[in-house]
Amino acid sequence: MPRTVTYKVGLVGHDKHKQDVPAVEQDLTVEIHEMDAEPWGREDTFRHVGHEVPRVDGAVKATGAAKYTYDINRPGLLVAGLVYSPHAHADIVSVDAGKAQGMAGVVAVKTFARGSAKYPGKIVAAICAESEQVLADALEAVEVTYKVKPGPAVTEDAMKDDAVVVDPRRKTNVGQPRRGPLVRGKPDDAFEGAEVVVQATYRTPIQTHSCLEPHGCVCEIHADGTATVWASTQATSFFANQQLTSALGLPRNKVRVITQHMGGGFGSKFSALEWDVLCAEFARETKRPVRMMLSRRLEHLVGGNRPDSIQALRLAGSKDGTIAALQGEVWGTSGNSSGGGAGAANFGVYTLPHLSMLQHGVATFSAKGRAFRAPRHPQGFYALESIIERYAYAAGVDALAVRLKNDKHPIRQVQWRIGAERIGWGKNRRKQPGSDKGPVKRGVGCASGRWGAAGRHTVGRNQLVFDVVVDKEGGVAFQNGVQDIGTGTRTVIAIIAAEELGLQPGDIDVRIGDTTYPPGPGSGGSTTAPSIGAAVRNGALRVKESLAGLLALQWGVDEAQLSWKDGVCHGPGDKQASFRSACSLIGEDGLRVQGRRMRNFQSAYGETAGCQFAQVAVDTETGVITVENVVAVHDCGRIIDTMTARSQVNGGVIQGISYALYEEKQTDRNLGDMVNPTFDTYRILGMQDCPPIDVVLTSVVSGYNNTGMMGLGEPATVPTAGAIANAVYNAIGVQVTDLPMTPARVLEALERRQG
Amino acid sequence: MKAFTFVRARSAEEAAKTLGDSKTGLLHSGGCDLLDRMKERVAEPDMLVSLCDAEGLSDIRLEEDGSIWVGARATLARLAEASLVQRFLPTLSEAAALAASPQLRHRATIGGNLAQHTRCGYYRHKSFPCLKRGGDSCPVRAEGGVQEMAGIFDNETCASAHPSSIAPVLGSLDAELVIRNADGRQAFVPSFESLWASPKKGRASDLALAAGDVIEAVRIPARDTKQFVGYAEIRQRKAFDWALVSCAVRYEMDADGKIAQASVWYGSVAPTPWRAGAAESALRGKACTDETARTAAEQALADATPLAGTTYKVQLAKVALKRALAAARERA
Ligand SMILES: Cc1cc2nc3c(=O)[nH]c(=O)nc-3n(C[C@H](O)[C@H](O)[C@H](O)COP(=O)(O)OP(=O)(O)OC[C@H]3O[C@@H](n4cnc5c(N)ncnc54)[C@H](O)[C@@H]3O)c2cc1C
Repeated sequence: MPRTVTYKVGLVGHDKHKQDVPAVEQDLTVEIHEMDAEPWGREDTFRHVGHEVPRVDGAVKATGAAKYTYDINRPGLLVAGLVYSPHAHADIVSVDAGKAQGMAGVVAVKTFARGSAKYPGKIVAAICAESEQVLADALEAVEVTYKVKPGPAVTEDAMKDDAVVVDPRRKTNVGQPRRGPLVRGKPDDAFEGAEVVVQATYRTPIQTHSCLEPHGCVCEIHADGTATVWASTQATSFFANQQLTSALGLPRNKVRVITQHMGGGFGSKFSALEWDVLCAEFARETKRPVRMMLSRRLEHLVGGNRPDSIQALRLAGSKDGTIAALQGEVWGTSGNSSGGGAGAANFGVYTLPHLSMLQHGVATFSAKGRAFRAPRHPQGFYALESIIERYAYAAGVDALAVRLKNDKHPIRQVQWRIGAERIGWGKNRRKQPGSDKGPVKRGVGCASGRWGAAGRHTVGRNQLVFDVVVDKEGGVAFQNGVQDIGTGTRTVIAIIAAEELGLQPGDIDVRIGDTTYPPGPGSGGSTTAPSIGAAVRNGALRVKESLAGLLALQWGVDEAQLSWKDGVCHGPGDKQASFRSACSLIGEDGLRVQGRRMRNFQSAYGETAGCQFAQVAVDTETGVITVENVVAVHDCGRIIDTMTARSQVNGGVIQGISYALYEEKQTDRNLGDMVNPTFDTYRILGMQDCPPIDVVLTSVVSGYNNTGMMGLGEPATVPTAGAIANAVYNAIGVQVTDLPMTPARVLEALERRQG
Repeated sequence: MKAFTFVRARSAEEAAKTLGDSKTGLLHSGGCDLLDRMKERVAEPDMLVSLCDAEGLSDIRLEEDGSIWVGARATLARLAEASLVQRFLPTLSEAAALAASPQLRHRATIGGNLAQHTRCGYYRHKSFPCLKRGGDSCPVRAEGGVQEMAGIFDNETCASAHPSSIAPVLGSLDAELVIRNADGRQAFVPSFESLWASPKKGRASDLALAAGDVIEAVRIPARDTKQFVGYAEIRQRKAFDWALVSCAVRYEMDADGKIAQASVWYGSVAPTPWRAGAAESALRGKACTDETARTAAEQALADATPLAGTTYKVQLAKVALKRALAAARERA
């Protein structure tokens, strides 16, 4: 029987000063399933939830005891590696692996000597060997003959009229959206009559995921006809896809996937990919465990990337700061499959009564893009916030005022004000951009972000469930296949379970990252925590019900007379039992219950809000930008652990600064290959260049599920580049319209301003 | 990497001899540069002669004649921290302290730093054609090549840039190289300039040394007169990166307060550390003012031949010289 519950949702406060946030709240009435826990409301207080809890696996990570896929070593382990084409476009004429085959220690060789290679990184041979050394020599010994052909490797070249097309069935590399441009209102009319019109073209680079642990897995087929696959994946439950299981020659239920710890995925690691399938084939053929992990270079080439973008935008508004219309055309490449994945989310957040946006995927001779932390958002928000900044200057209205005026999100309205105060907008924002004396000029800027991830109640077609196992000593284990990709999933499970059961987070045995347990959700779309959180609560609830049942029998009372509070079960009179003493009633074989994730509720807070502010110093003689301060204000529904939540925001901001200033896949346009596939040449923000990051977490009870949680991993990286770009504009009085904002580009922009 | 034999030399002499007897042997010191190249198979030596256990190679000492002796195995971390270097060779200490990252500085040695190869992405990956690796031309120079890190001088045949930020400082200080030959003799490379060789098809090293030559030490000569020294570099990231441009200057003043003699060296602007003779002439006979610095900077870059993607380096190089001169003035 569904129940109807009315409770308060909305802004709880924020972690920096709880007292002075304005009340943004409302009563929410929801219908909830009988198996679902009473939702935690805005006014509930907690012992663990929302506090500072160190990650439960912090120690094993810090000491190196944590085992990543790369660390897996099995008796008789073989290692496998790949030979790949370095060309953008070539026919594979022949692959001669004879020499490699004959080398001592080479166990198996596969060659793929047919067809054409349409991106650098295309696999042409795979080798399995006794040791890394033998493998390296064998890979080197493979001789491949290519017939190199012309083919544009970068977006702008692929857009040219005479460009060689990637897909011979098409006339051009430039894709057209099937439904034409996205149109709202009457954009043409709006521009016609507008008081202020600004326009600019923004460019963002291809950013590679640069996971510290590359893609790959270890496959082992056991004597009993089952297999274990240790995989670096964001989804244990769908890693073993049809290609992988058929390569192993086993039905899916005989394949166990394990991911205990994962060294970065950012959206690039879900199902088994080409190389994983080859690894499985080798394991089957050699009857030995095999490890195949991508080299750093291949990881950059084919591990995935955030597509680039060229965004030509026009924005119209009135002199009082009201935005009327946005018009734009966007091009970007997601590699050699035309379309899929490119595009820019450049029309969110603000009220845009009139809109026209046309987005093209451009096919290039380069490897495919993959989902990357907030796909389409960092690039879109950088351009959107940049064109708004132009408009604010042109209209003569304060840039923050423009945002407050055109942004209707109630939480972000609060966040803009918190951020502005903490960055010192009034004092540090240059009224006249570029007006500082001397060569080093400072400025501040801001940008918005958004996301919406309330989680799901399903994993594929199954309901998301946790198995909970309790033993008579009071040991509690929460079990689900979900993996902790570094975000703090283990910790979130432990906190919620401990909160409900009156225990400490360290008391909870969190067993995850293993398909032995019920299927876990994939870690994508920032949905993991909000999906599992509500199931964990329900699991804890079932444990308490079962224990109450045992106590009721023991005490000879009716179960309905028992209630739990702070981990103690109270009965009639002054009967009471702690969690541990209640557990002593459990039999030798333990207690097993299931925590089921129920459907999301209907709520008003469909989007999580965020905004960031940055202060920069720009050396106008050298073009070097130093980010001096970032204020990041984010909402992710209810905060479960302030520490791991802050850590997610820190990571998002760091990746965002890196995107704004450094990261860029550099491709030689003649040869088509990436020239910076190493970490000394593919620049990523390091600690010495990392500014203080002032993270403000506005905790909002979203009302979507019994915990009120939403996701945070992706939204934290959405506003950063835009905020930095706007700070640079404020500092130097001219907009740098290309990311990354390298010294060369900054100097070029300054020159344009003078010239 | 390809298999090789590993030999630990006890002295520079032994290293030089062993190397002389090998076919394609190479010296190994900190390994920061060499191992990267070996992993990419850009370098495939049959033997590594390691200096790690060689005795007396990491001394930093004041000689009787007032010169300073820096053993080839002195690490960048020691150059940054040694009080002798801080006191007498402040620009060397500064440049060392800013280089790379703490971990690298504890591994990287001054000998290896001078002999390190260019970081050009084309040179470092075998899948690219490269003149230094025997190719017919330098693909960086072509329109559409990735040029950001390329050189702006002496770039007709190869547009690589020498990455050392230590070398320009040593150049500005007129450092002498103490070399141990394959036949065991000690020799001196009298001028820092003559240590370097412009790129040539098929030659990877930028040093004008013979294959068996071991750098034993760097000697910085003593000076009778007061020296003005300054160092400036421009880098995008503060750590784990190379300078985009570095510049070291040294000058002496005459009795009238005019620059009597000046030495100006750049890093990362040419295939080898680059002496800016035109700037040196421009400084001579002038008071060290902002105006003089500006003129010298213009002169220094007058002959630059930047590629489309490296015009920004011209500006950086001008600024670096002005800042180095300002630093020298300020220190005095
Ligand atoms: C991320 C990163 C950032 C860096 N940043 C900077 C920077 O800012 N500034 C800078 O100057 N450098 C920088 N470096 C380069 C680094 O300083 C050099 O790689 C290092 O100094 C090389 O010294 P080594 O002892 O490790 O040499 P090795 O790698 O052992 O050897 C390098 C080369 O020198 C030869 N060699 C070694 N010793 C001798 C000798 N005694 N005589 C003759 N030949 C010899 C070797 O055969 C080899 O060819 C950076 C390196 C990295 C990886």
